[in-house]
Amino acid sequence: MALSELAGGFADALTVTNLLFALIGVVLGTAVGVLPGIGPAMTVALLLPVTYSLEPTSAFIMFAGIYYGGMYGGSTTSILLNTPGESSSIMTALEGNKMAKSGRGAAALATAAIGSFVAGTIATLLLALVAPTVVDLAIGITPADYFALAVLAFVAVATVLGSSPLRGLASLGVGLYLGLVGTDVLTGQERFTLGIPQLSDGIDVVVVAVALFAVGEALYVASRLRRGPVQVMQASGRYLTRSDLRRSVGPWLRGTAFGFPLGALPAGGAEIPTFLSYATERKLTKHPEEFGKGAIEGVAGPEAANNAAAAGVLVPLLTLGLPTSATAAIILAAFQGYGIQPGPTLLTTESSLVWTLIASLLIGNLMLLVLNLPLAGVWVKLLRIPRPYLYAGILMFASLGSYAVNADPLDLVLLLVIGLLGFAMRRFGWPVAPAVIGLILGPVAETNLRRALAIGDGDLGVLVDTWFSRVLLVLALLALVVPIVLRAVRGRRATPEELQEGSGLRHREPAAATHEGRGEQ
Amino acid sequence: MSTAAGAGPAAGNAGEDAGRHADGPDPAGPHAAGPQGRNTGELALTVLLLALGLYLVLDAANIAVPGSSNTLGPRFFPYLIGGVVIATALALGVRVLRGDRGPADESEDVDLTAGTDWRAVGVVAVAFLAHALLINVIGWPLAVTLMFAAVAWALGARGIVRPLLAGGITSIVVWIVFVKALNVALPGGTLLELATEWL
Amino acid sequence: MTGPDRVVVVGYVPTPRGEAALAHGIDEARRRGARLVVVNSSLGDALVDEEYVQGAAERRLRSELTASGVPAELRQPVGRDVADALGAAADDTGAELVVIGLRRRSPVGKLVTGSAAQRVLLSVDCPVLAVKAPPGREEGPPAEGL
Repeated sequence: MALSELAGGFADALTVTNLLFALIGVVLGTAVGVLPGIGPAMTVALLLPVTYSLEPTSAFIMFAGIYYGGMYGGSTTSILLNTPGESSSIMTALEGNKMAKSGRGAAALATAAIGSFVAGTIATLLLALVAPTVVDLAIGITPADYFALAVLAFVAVATVLGSSPLRGLASLGVGLYLGLVGTDVLTGQERFTLGIPQLSDGIDVVVVAVALFAVGEALYVASRLRRGPVQVMQASGRYLTRSDLRRSVGPWLRGTAFGFPLGALPAGGAEIPTFLSYATERKLTKHPEEFGKGAIEGVAGPEAANNAAAAGVLVPLLTLGLPTSATAAIILAAFQGYGIQPGPTLLTTESSLVWTLIASLLIGNLMLLVLNLPLAGVWVKLLRIPRPYLYAGILMFASLGSYAVNADPLDLVLLLVIGLLGFAMRRFGWPVAPAVIGLILGPVAETNLRRALAIGDGDLGVLVDTWFSRVLLVLALLALVVPIVLRAVRGRRATPEELQEGSGLRHREPAAATHEGRGEQ
Repeated sequence: MSTAAGAGPAAGNAGEDAGRHADGPDPAGPHAAGPQGRNTGELALTVLLLALGLYLVLDAANIAVPGSSNTLGPRFFPYLIGGVVIATALALGVRVLRGDRGPADESEDVDLTAGTDWRAVGVVAVAFLAHALLINVIGWPLAVTLMFAAVAWALGARGIVRPLLAGGITSIVVWIVFVKALNVALPGGTLLELATEWL
Repeated sequence: MTGPDRVVVVGYVPTPRGEAALAHGIDEARRRGARLVVVNSSLGDALVDEEYVQGAAERRLRSELTASGVPAELRQPVGRDVADALGAAADDTGAELVVIGLRRRSPVGKLVTGSAAQRVLLSVDCPVLAVKAPPGREEGPPAEGL
């Protein structure tokens, strides 16, 4: 049944307009994946207000292209420049850059790109297969269950992302507060508006996301501007040899197996599966001596896991309306902006939109393979843009996108204020993504909480009425407590670095980077 | 395990790694720039967070609750969040006072060993604020061109002509694309609006 | 290496014109009994600058210099443009000759970008030798495979 609907989706996606938007999306996505200081989450946020004149289908096809494209772009810079733009690319950089250094850059790019394609395709097909089933299960979901899901997503996002669970919670709290500002949907009461009339409609998601990602990043870069270029490796050597291919296939498939389910869980993001995949390949490889010096398995597996997780993230997003990464949160906001309520009913009410979207993900994935494999070097040329112009340009687009929301300069002042907050957060290692997720998911969580309690006549017991909600809340509690206990026991939180068993995840050279600034998580 | 020859700081070994992480905050790492200042800075941010939590709890009491009160009103969630924020701020405050520091965010274009260039931050912030206030007066393209040039200058671009030219051309092209093709509401300024009336 | 300190400064970029400049610089230094100061600078304002040699390319350049037998030094200043960096190196060493590689440019191309070579000519006090890449090997991509 899913297959026939997917075929229908293909029929819709293969129109000239939709193909064009898919192409625009993947090109934009790759570009922002390559460029520092800007990522898919922010790009989609910026495009939100300016795409309301488009058909929702076209807009979502473009957003999906940006979402997938960002990861391809990220792997290119990880391999050739050793600058992973997001934490899920760290593992790719680890072995990929070593491969490029030893003259096998082309093979590293090829295994990353083909692995991304294979994993993305399998995972997107799995998404198509799984989504209807999840929807069937989710139809019976109670508001209490949904609240429990949201709580688990909050806790997981806050404690998994970033270096410190407390800082993640702090960031989440800020986001939840920003989500409270405005008029309460259920009673029409104004909350925390400080008497400013513009705030009674709430703070726009676009403003917060653009402020935290773009303005915060620009200010942060201004404060500690790097001077001097980084070393670019050549995409030299042959593409995959037969033995490269043989060594890559297993990691691709295993990476997909890690990435898709872990991405689909409300525990968020692509980081953990890439670490797991790397650790696994390290154990299984027949060439352990190559790890740390450029083992192809160490590129193939994590890259596949990364892309499979990205598709996995779409499962809770499309079936439950539950975002588990910053980009997914922005896409959720986009659905809301178009007046579409994501959730279990999405697949029936917006059936053609969803299937066209899934079909265009598969098409976009193919486009990305073609765009990235032979053209990796061309994308790197984007990085010749001088930093002053790059960041000035990012701020220009930040201004464009945020002003376009309400045509109100106050939004731009707000943008700067929240941007300064984002700057401070970066400076002190507070992850930014939880704030965005808190902002978008917070109101949804509140609505469900109040609905649940209304059904239960105000008895808090309804929150743990079903097994589902009990399990989720226990998991949330564990996600909150375990890192703190581990930290107390061992003096630190169990970080994914551990999985590596000292395989050389360094305190990276200055060129390296984590994701928070770009916000792909 | 074998370490890669010539890999420099990249080649670690298990013992070294464990040792480095075990002592929690890492004073020797690249994040150590200005430890003292960083610490008071984060403490200030944490105090701000505490203030936010208190504000949430106190101001929630002022939210009007309409008649029927057997269901959960608009105050409960703010109280809940306020409570979580206060608890987080207190716990984080204790941590920070004990010397725990979050690693400053790494980013491709950021040099963590460099000191903070407050002047550049100031110029960027002021330029952005100025352009926000100028948009409705002189139009988006001109306001954003000035902002672009100021930001580029703060980040080390040379000359005056080139940043202005780059900002001006980009902003006009962007304005035409988004306003004329995508119908985004963006004031163009009298001159540009007159000049592009025919589009 | 006694006697008066004679210096030839070469502006190097990893392109055919840069290689041509280096080759001529080595010849000139050998003929004059001078030492060679090779300048490879970067404005350093972008994440990627393919004209700035690092890693394998730098090692290759250094071994090329060693193999030439001429006493040579590589300077890689970051943060100043080519003309500034060459001028500074020339002043600093009291160079008797500066060798630069010239782009073959159409008159239009000349209008579009300011010529670094022209600024070197104007700012350097000593004679300047400008060489072009051998015909047919002009501005290829600075790095094959990219």
